This record gives sequence, C-alpha cells and structure tokens, in this order.
Amino acid sequence: MSAILTIMKKEFARFFGDKRLILSILLPGLIIYAVYTAMGSITQSFTETPVQAVVCVRNMPQSLSQAVSSVFIIDEGEGDDEALKERIREGDLDLLVIFPEDFDEAIAENALPDVSIYYNSGDTASSSAYYAMTALLNSFEESISDVLTINRGEGQFDLADSGALAKDILSMIVPMVLIMLLFSGCIAVVLESIAGEKERGTFATMLVTPVKRTYIAAGKILSLSALAMLSGLSSFLGLIFSIPSLIGGLEGISFTMYGFTDYLLIFLVIIMTVLVLVALLSIVSAFAKSTKEANGLMAPVMILVLLCSVVSMFVPNTAIGIYFVPVLNSAMCISSIMSGALSVAAFLITIGVNLAFTLLLAVVLAFMFNSEKIIFNG
Amino acid sequence: MEKTEILKVEHLKKTFRLSLRQRKNEGGVRVRTAVDDLSFSAYKGEIFGLLGPNGAGKTTTLRMLATLIKPDSGDAFIDGKSIVAQPYEVRGKIGFLTSELKLESFFSPNYIFDFFSELHGVPKDIREERKKSLFARFGIDKFADVKLGNLSTGMKQKTSIVISVVHAPEFIIFDEPTNGLDVITAKAVTDYLSELRGEGKTIILSTHIFSLAEKLCDRVGVIIDGRLAALDDVAALTAEKNLEDKFFELYSEVAGDRQ
Ligand SMILES: Nc1ncnc2c1ncn2[C@@H]1O[C@H](COP(=O)(O)OP(=O)(O)OP(=O)(O)O)[C@@H](O)[C@H]1O
Ligand SMILES: [Mg+2]
Repeated sequence: MSAILTIMKKEFARFFGDKRLILSILLPGLIIYAVYTAMGSITQSFTETPVQAVVCVRNMPQSLSQAVSSVFIIDEGEGDDEALKERIREGDLDLLVIFPEDFDEAIAENALPDVSIYYNSGDTASSSAYYAMTALLNSFEESISDVLTINRGEGQFDLADSGALAKDILSMIVPMVLIMLLFSGCIAVVLESIAGEKERGTFATMLVTPVKRTYIAAGKILSLSALAMLSGLSSFLGLIFSIPSLIGGLEGISFTMYGFTDYLLIFLVIIMTVLVLVALLSIVSAFAKSTKEANGLMAPVMILVLLCSVVSMFVPNTAIGIYFVPVLNSAMCISSIMSGALSVAAFLITIGVNLAFTLLLAVVLAFMFNSEKIIFNG
Repeated sequence: MEKTEILKVEHLKKTFRLSLRQRKNEGGVRVRTAVDDLSFSAYKGEIFGLLGPNGAGKTTTLRMLATLIKPDSGDAFIDGKSIVAQPYEVRGKIGFLTSELKLESFFSPNYIFDFFSELHGVPKDIREERKKSLFARFGIDKFADVKLGNLSTGMKQKTSIVISVVHAPEFIIFDEPTNGLDVITAKAVTDYLSELRGEGKTIILSTHIFSLAEKLCDRVGVIIDGRLAALDDVAALTAEKNLEDKFFELYSEVAGDRQ
C-alpha cells in the first residue's frame, strides 16, 4: 500500500520540481484572467464613450430646466435653427429641442403641447441623446398626468428573490465552464505523466518491481487528480477574478450568495469528476504509442465531455436517470446546487456512480499496465 | 561442490504478430517466432551468457524471464517461482537491466535510488547504507544530486546498474550491459559482475561480444534464430578453437539445416 504513496510523492516531486510543468498547471488560469479582463475593458470602453450629450434647447420651460441641464450639456445655440441642424449633421451638436413658447401654461391647462427634437440617427451619440431626451420627457409626462401613479410609494415592489435570476444564470453557465476547465487541466497532467513516461521508456522500469499494477494505477490516478484539481482551481480563480470586469457589475451576481454547504457539495462533485476524467484520459493515454498520438486521441473524449456539459443546460434536473451517467451527472449536480434545487438522492447517486466508474477504470488501467501489447507498442 | 539449479527454463516460446508494415517488408508472413522452444538451466553463483547475433531472441528471452512479457508456451522457474504463475514473487527476486528500461532524466541518482528502494520495500537504514557503498563503488557519489539528464552516458549506465540492484537481488539479469560504453566504463561493469559472482549471486547476461562472453562467463548458451544452438561450459566450447570461430561453425550448421 505504501507504494501508492511513494508513486504519488514522485509525481508531485516531478511536477513541482519543474518550472515548465508548474507553468502548464497554472497557465490556464492566468490566460483566462488576462483574456477576460482585456475583453471586459474593451467592451466597457465601447459602452462608456461620451457620456454627456450636448443639446441646444429653444424656449426651455421652467419646469424642465433643472432636469435637462443635469443630464445634458446645454449649448447656447447661436445662429438660426438651420445652422444648428447643420451642426447636428456634422456631429458637433447632438440635439436641437424646440419647445412651444407657452409650454408650462399649456401643461397647466391640460393641453397637448408639441415638442420637436432634431437628431442624427447616423451618429451614436446623437441617437442615444435622443433616447435619453424622450425618456426624460416621457417620465415628465407620467409625473404630471394625475390619472394614476404606479409604484410611486415607498417599499419594495419587485417581489422576486433578488438573487434568483443571477442564480439561474450561473447555474446555466458555471457547470459547463467548470467542467471544460477541469478537463483541460486533466489533459495537461495526464499526457505528461502517462503517455510521456511510456514514450520515454521510464514507465516499464516501474513494472519490474514487485508493486501491484493496481497500486501503480491508483498512485497515478490519485496524484494526477490532485494536480488536475490544482490546474482547474487556477482556471476557476482566473475566471472568478475576471468576472467583475467581464460583466461589469451584472446586477446581483456575487459569489457570496452561496453558503458553505453549497461550496462543499460543489467541491465534492468536482473531486469525483476529476477522478473520472483523469482515469478516462489515463486509459486513452496508455493506449497511445506517443504523446502526439495521445493528444490526438483526446479530441473525441473532449467532444463527449463537451456534449455532457452542454446537454446539462437543457435537461430538466428532475429526471433521476440522468444522474447515472458519469460527468453528465456532475454537470447536472453543480447546476442544481447553483440554482438551489439539489435533491439528496441525485447527489448521492452522482457521487456513488462516479466513484464506482473511477474504480472500474482504475482496474482497466491496471490490466493495461499488465499487457505487453500496451506497454511495448511504442 | 554440489551445484544448485536456480534458473530452469522449460520450452519457452514467443511469437510476435507483425504489423501491416512489417508484414510487407517480410514478404507477407504474419507472425515471427522470436524464441523457439528454448530450454536451459543456470546454477547458483555462476555467470551465464546468452550469446547470439542481432535479432537472435536474447532480449525477448530476458524480458520473459523478467516477467515483462509472457511466453506463448513453456515456463521458467527462478528460485522455484514460475515466471508465468508467480510474476510478483519473481520480480522481488530479480534485478533487471536493459537499455529499453529508462530512468527519468528529471531526477537525481539519489532520488531515483530512494524511489525504487521504496517500491521494493527496502527499509530506510539498509537503503542508506547500500546507497552509500554502491555510489562510492561506481563513483556516483560526486553526482548524487545532479539530474540524470545532465550526466554522461557512462554515468547514466552506472546509475541504471545501481538502481537495478537496490534490493540486493540474488538473481541478476543484464541485457547487453556494456553496450555503448567506453572500455574503462565497460571494465567497471564487468568487474562489478565478477564481484557479484564472488558474493554468490547468479548472473544471466546477454551479449553479442564473443570476447566478453569468453572472459566473463562460466557457461554460455548460443542462440541463433531463437533456438539454442549450443550450451556448455566456456572452457569446453573453446577447447579446440576460440569462441568466435566456434560460433561461425555453429552458424553455418544451422544455416545449412535451413536450406
Ligand atoms: N514487439 C515486437 N514485435 C515484433 N517483433 C519483435 C518484437 N520484439 C522483438 N521482435 C523480433 O523478435 C526477434 C528477436 O528480437 P530480440 O530483440 O529478442 O533480439 P536480440 O537477440 O536481443 O537482438 P539484438 O542483439 O539486436 O538486441 C527479432 O527478429 C525482432 O525483430
Ligand atoms: Mg537485444
């Protein structure tokens, strides 16, 4: 049994002693962080350009003067209206608003005064200023029509749980992203340790020792899973830290909306998933004659795993049968935990099935280590 | 002195299915017989040499004895344990060296020694003592903490030899142990083998170098095309002519049989 520990220790020494391998574990997270943060700041710079529009207002009514000047920059409007319209066409001015002279009086008498707003729909700043101005006037109109008022009193009117929508969004996206990140972490370590060792001829050396093949398989799967988790964790952190700049404060999304139990459950599911993935990829790797071939063989597995994580977005999480499918059940479980709808049975089935599947794969792997066709087919 | 039979090889046979590409080169044959009905014995405390040209089946035979590959038929017993039925027991008793089994170039001799000692279940105090004397014996001590990848070919081979005996096996199987080494390093290796014989260990080695077999071995089995062509004491084989001439005589006999 202590041989399992010896093999695990060696795998860790191998990975942590080599800068290149440490980097291969941590790089995904760094890349995700860098790329997503860059993407976030680019989209923000698109949406945040000139905030305040420049408008010229003729016959500014007393009642609106305050509101308009707090939202827009007021242009004195020298020259006649035609000159101003020309300036709008040239993009120098955003809006020309013309109120009737007796606007306030007309409002007081319940008349329907007409306001003209000149803008340039070909100019982003001008058209957004147009929408802002109409919105302002609409709300002014609402506030003076005393027919009825909506939600003008104090109190919370939106009765939805403030986090529910955010949770729904996360429960759709996170399982897929998480599983793909874990998967790429698994590929990096398994390729190096199984296909790489086989290719370099260092693996067979271990087979001449009286260590049981099942122990070798166990030592490899356990240590590689831990390393893959680390790589997955790095990706996960990269993702979390880049979320604020990526979605620029999407209302209500925050990772504090889940409790300790939620995170613990997710963590358990992740461990099981990584074990299955590592065992699966180890078998694929052991089949290959070289690292290069192993890399090619990963593609079909990748498609399968991708399929599982995508399907999880559309299958109702009440179908209990789905939890008997490894990997897919993990995605479903994480999704249910994040939407707050996990059933105990589903969770237990997921853990049990993935554990059993890993054991089965480990036995298969041990058999492969015993086969000269697998070990000496380089 | 009564001789104890420590290795008994009985009718070992091994064939390989050829890949499509190999088949084409070989004119359509599907299987190649690498070892064909091989039987011999080795006695405790002797150096037994398997002598044969390239492709004779030496490495295949030694791999079977080391339990890395399984014979199609036949069996061999090392200290009474069957290589077919009791591979784990056999692995604990043997030290195996062959050029295809490599050590990870990332680690130092020191680390690799500890690693394989642990896999063999060697207690820590014995391990340290053994490491000290073996490293000193081969001059590895100065390079004990240098990555294997940075060592010379000779130093790598010496490390491989040391690693193959971390558990002080009674039975040692070395496949072409002096291949690719300069005369000084090769002599260090052959001297060590004589030393092991002096300690009462049994060594089986393969080689295609006649002078090595003549100088080092007590008994020699000549393999040609996977079959045993001769088996005798070196003294008896070289009674009338040297080993090389004797080999050519055997070779033309076998080649003549085939025609
Ligand atoms: N895995 C394999 N697949 C197919 N043929 C093989 C395999 N291993 C060995 N052979 C063939 O079996 C025969 C014996 O090979 P072996 O390596 O045992 O010879 P050898 O005596 O060690 O030769 P050398 O002196 O070149 O090392 C050769 O013809 C070789 O091509
Ligand atoms: Mg050989």
